[in-house]
Amino acid sequence: MECDKCDRDAVMHAAYAGTHLCEEHFCVSVEKRVRRRIREDGLLSSDATPEEPETWVVGLSGGKDSVVLTHILEETFGRDPRVELVALSIHEGIEGYRDESLDACVELAESLGIRHEVVAYEDDLGVRMDDVAEKDPMNMAPCAYCGVFRRDLLESYAAAFGADKLLTGHNLDDEAQTALMNFLEGDVKQVAKHFDASLGGFDEREEQSDFVPRAKPLRDVPEKEVALYAHLRDLPAHVAECPHASEAYRGEIQRLLLKLEENHPGTRHSIMAGYEELAELAARRYRNGGEDGADDGDAALGECERCGSKTARDVCRKCRLIEAVEAA
Amino acid sequence: MDVTVEVVGEETRAVRVADDATYADLLAPFDLSPHEVSVLVEGRPVPEDQPVETDRVKVLRLIKGG
Repeated sequence: MECDKCDRDAVMHAAYAGTHLCEEHFCVSVEKRVRRRIREDGLLSSDATPEEPETWVVGLSGGKDSVVLTHILEETFGRDPRVELVALSIHEGIEGYRDESLDACVELAESLGIRHEVVAYEDDLGVRMDDVAEKDPMNMAPCAYCGVFRRDLLESYAAAFGADKLLTGHNLDDEAQTALMNFLEGDVKQVAKHFDASLGGFDEREEQSDFVPRAKPLRDVPEKEVALYAHLRDLPAHVAECPHASEAYRGEIQRLLLKLEENHPGTRHSIMAGYEELAELAARRYRNGGEDGADDGDAALGECERCGSKTARDVCRKCRLIEAVEAA
Repeated sequence: MDVTVEVVGEETRAVRVADDATYADLLAPFDLSPHEVSVLVEGRPVPEDQPVETDRVKVLRLIKGG
């Protein structure tokens, strides 16, 4: 089977688009989609200049998604004086697993010549995920603690590095899963938050001055294609699964979506197209305490009594979880 | 026809499929979706909708979990 664009052998079939592409045209198409998303989201502010560049912090876990994102960002903006890239890796305290993926991060950052910072739960929060998973004082999935801790560290270090944007490697499958989960849980307020937090273009979102704005430039690219890109470009991505992984509900949704995609190609794309439009409507309705608006919205954020993080309560969720782990 | 299918790092099995089967059909006995793997023939990925033209493939799991 030949590539649709040249006479080389095709390496993949994108059923949702009806295309067959060779290695080179496939890789170019991934890069194009990421650059188009960056452009459409207005990621690079027109205020950025060589004298006053923007700082973009990239969450680099060493997995295929963040490795591909970091690689494409460096290829695209590595020589652009308006952008400074900083890769930020987090060691959660997962023996073996995270040590190996951090090696992949160090290797990638060195080969790309970008600034790379590593922070650890143990140094900043005084806990390690291996212990948290064992103690489990709140009777939750390990990912539930880890997600809170990771967001907190990404957010606080991005702010400390003077980041204008915080970028993560979420792909199309991740976002379609989240969209479907929010919908099935009936959580319209969460949908509205999703839009202002990371989904909407920068000119369509409400300013959230309390947080470094986030973006997900890989969110148009299916997970398989991100992995195939890493494989074909021979990027140093770490492929093992976290030993504590246990998001049972997300796994169920993932199976469901892959099955739907197999029978109805394009399902993930159409879910996201519709969800984004609905999320924008939901965001407008819930902002500024609209008629049915949330009165406990972001406007009410104060500082956590213990760590100073932004929170709607006296003590933030991260500090409450750490307290529970320490008491266990 | 019989095709030897190696799911890298997991198992190798002989799979019998119809003569006009596609690479995607080789995945059915493993309960794998073509959206979570890449099928390799002599080390090169092939489009999963194409007819099988070899007696040995490797299947690379690209997505963990689920």
